[in-house]
Amino acid sequence: MTKQEREKAYIHWLYQAAGMGNRAFLRDLEQAGTARSVYEMAARGVLADKLHERYRKKAERLHNAVKDYDVIGRYEEMTARGISMVTLGEAGYPKRLAAIHDAPYVLYYAGSLPEDGRRSVAVIGARNCTEYGRVMAETFGTILARAGILVISGMARGIDGIGQNAALRAGGYSMGVLGCGVDLCYPQENRGLYERLLTQGGVCSEYPPGTAPRAMLFPPRNRIISGLCDAVLVLEAKERSGTLITVDMALEQGREVYAVPGRATDALSAGCNKLIRQGAGLVTTPEELLEDLQAQLTGTPGQTFFAGQLSLPIEDTCMETTQIQGKGMELLGLLDFQPRSMETLQEAYRNAYGRAIGIPQLCHTLVQLCADGYAGQIGGSYYLKKRN
Amino acid sequence: MFSAIISGTVCGIGSHLVQVEVDLSKGLPCFQMVGLLSSEVREARERVRVALKNSGITLPPMCINVNLSPADLRKEGTVFDLPVAVGILTCLGRIPKESIAGTIFLGELGLNGEVKPVRGILPIVTRAKESGMHRCILPRDNAPEGAVVDGIEVIGVVSIAETIAYLQALAEGDEGLIEPAQTDVRSLWERRPEQAPDFADISGQETVKRAIEVAAAGFHHLLMIGPPGSGKTMLAKRIPSILPPLSLQESLEVSTIYSVSGLLHTAREILITERPFLNPHHTITGQALAGGGRVPVPGIVSLSHRGILFLDELPEFKRETLDILRQPLEDKVVQIARSSGVYVFPADFMLVGAMNPCPCGYYPDMARCHCTPYEVKRYLGRISGPILDRIDICVEAAPLRFQDLEKEHVGESSARIRERVLRARQRQAQRFMDLPLRFNADMGAADVERFCGLGRGERTYMERMFRVMHLSARGYHRILKVARTIADLAGEDVIREEHLAEAICYRQMNIREAG
Repeated sequence: MTKQEREKAYIHWLYQAAGMGNRAFLRDLEQAGTARSVYEMAARGVLADKLHERYRKKAERLHNAVKDYDVIGRYEEMTARGISMVTLGEAGYPKRLAAIHDAPYVLYYAGSLPEDGRRSVAVIGARNCTEYGRVMAETFGTILARAGILVISGMARGIDGIGQNAALRAGGYSMGVLGCGVDLCYPQENRGLYERLLTQGGVCSEYPPGTAPRAMLFPPRNRIISGLCDAVLVLEAKERSGTLITVDMALEQGREVYAVPGRATDALSAGCNKLIRQGAGLVTTPEELLEDLQAQLTGTPGQTFFAGQLSLPIEDTCMETTQIQGKGMELLGLLDFQPRSMETLQEAYRNAYGRAIGIPQLCHTLVQLCADGYAGQIGGSYYLKKRN
Repeated sequence: MFSAIISGTVCGIGSHLVQVEVDLSKGLPCFQMVGLLSSEVREARERVRVALKNSGITLPPMCINVNLSPADLRKEGTVFDLPVAVGILTCLGRIPKESIAGTIFLGELGLNGEVKPVRGILPIVTRAKESGMHRCILPRDNAPEGAVVDGIEVIGVVSIAETIAYLQALAEGDEGLIEPAQTDVRSLWERRPEQAPDFADISGQETVKRAIEVAAAGFHHLLMIGPPGSGKTMLAKRIPSILPPLSLQESLEVSTIYSVSGLLHTAREILITERPFLNPHHTITGQALAGGGRVPVPGIVSLSHRGILFLDELPEFKRETLDILRQPLEDKVVQIARSSGVYVFPADFMLVGAMNPCPCGYYPDMARCHCTPYEVKRYLGRISGPILDRIDICVEAAPLRFQDLEKEHVGESSARIRERVLRARQRQAQRFMDLPLRFNADMGAADVERFCGLGRGERTYMERMFRVMHLSARGYHRILKVARTIADLAGEDVIREEHLAEAICYRQMNIREAG
């Protein structure tokens, strides 16, 4: 074990023992020298005397944390589980993140960290997204990944998870920044995504492994999401949304912010529309975003340097496509990303085509569209468009 | 001096005849009643003594013994007052013995000698007729109810004095003192009130109306999901109006249940002619729902026999309470075991549930719904699986829009929908002629195999749907049953693709795969 590794083991001990929300404390500790020297002082029981009065209690905790703790053994155990850590200033530490104010001193990760040389975009948005948001997240996730862009997000429900899943399906890299230890999967329903990230991308967190998710841990992790990327893309957000915390962080860190617009009346697009009004970049297709990213890099807009074919259809693995025609085509035109009830569709049909459609016939056509993957059934009697 | 009078007692919804034996003998004056009596029966002593006194008859200072036989059957209720009084009067010679032959007596006495109405008349009189009795003397208020039973003379009396006068006249050959009560069941049938709420009152909600029609046609249990104020309760209240009218047989069954519950008399009805619609509040206890008590009486599920049991705000019901429905939904009866025996009450009802789609009520309108997918899921999860398993049709009511209220054309009338339902039911009756099944909803897995055969094209269609729609085996069977009903409504013998598609629309939606 190198000296550096040894020191990391002590840092890991310190992080675990000191608990969360102690950045100021840790900074002061750094001034005390190496983590190892802190450990030794704690072991000798003299730490409290060396520290400022206000840290008396914490020093007490460190004193106790020395007992029955095998520093090197625990560190090796962690690395054996596939969890690594990088510290600020180390060679492997992501450069973009290192540049931000308040960069985490330690970053735990499993899988791999995003390469510094490649462009990365944070795809973020509401947990409780609409079908419109889902389709957009899938489209952006897929195309960005195909263009070789790294997709960073928070592995949350809704937009985050959908975008990351799409990126991985398209063969790209994605990083999930967690608000808990990297050995925990939160939320549970993203288990599949988590497993896939471990092999095809990575998950990282500033909290030591084993840290359970708590509400207070999530806002700070948003600065890591924006810190790891070149641009932040917001797909759907309510006017007061956690997503906007990430946007604030991104602006502080000097990242570009993009938003996908929505209808003026949609609560879940209100946040995006407001961002655009405040000056965020408006993008409706991934290609527009790619163009902007490239312009930033080369200074000349219009040229593409991304390899591969971007505009291939986005395949949905579980659906088989068949040619739709007749009533199906007519109804597809009436469907929207917003769920519409059967009565509304009936009426829209009458208005559009001048003849009535009975419930049985409507059911038949809609079920067909659902089976073909063009439409989806929500609740009991609501239907929406699933593809653009 | 000994006399024996026939009376009866209710047991569950059945009844037993009871022989009231009265003996007057010399000895210390006393009045004893034996025969496994509950306290209200034993109290008959005081009522009879005072009622006789106030009718001008003083009991002689003799030892009076009354036995209610069979002595091992527990006697409940107040029907024994009149028979005990008549027994004593017969012993005393005030009533000629020959006039009480073949007659059953029922009735409660007031202290002034009046005869008051009692519950359970219908089953007891039916039993009396089956046992070969030819006359029934009962409270006049109950007489129309008793007269529903054909082939037995029903005499309604108001007081002890009148009873004595009637029986004395009878012995002298004068039968005309009190006219036997007559109830013309046919005319009762024709006089049925037609002001029941009608589907024509509701504009819009075509999807839910169609689903209700299908549910009514195949007796499928139904779950309506919708935001507050979308008219779920209004719709449910109109379901009885499209169900086939009660047949006489069914009406007697229902009336019997109401009779033993003492509800027939209070409702001032002679027979229940409308399908029951019960709408218990969600704080209802399990006992009130299933029936119970030391001496079990029918619960809400039995009172909705042959009708609708409407449970509004389904997830608000206690889980244990809902789970009680499992047995009646499966067996169509409720069994209540007591040390005195097992009571079986019929409970063949159509379950109609209504609920909000999520705690806030606005899902899937994401602009207004504040619930997380997890909350939505948990809200639906409050209803236990076994109950959901019995619900074949699930439909969502959209919130009403102004256009719906403004619409000029009124909805289709209940009568027209009922015609279609009736036709579909006739097809089912024919199909299940030699089987214990009555409706498509009753079909088990084997019956589905037998009656819901698919053609090759339809089979391929369902194969694909099974895969892409992630159906379960149970869900698949439910869809076939509902499709059978939809085909019956369309008057077709084979199940076609469009029938299957519509049934698929009515399947229970698992909350969509989020994120």
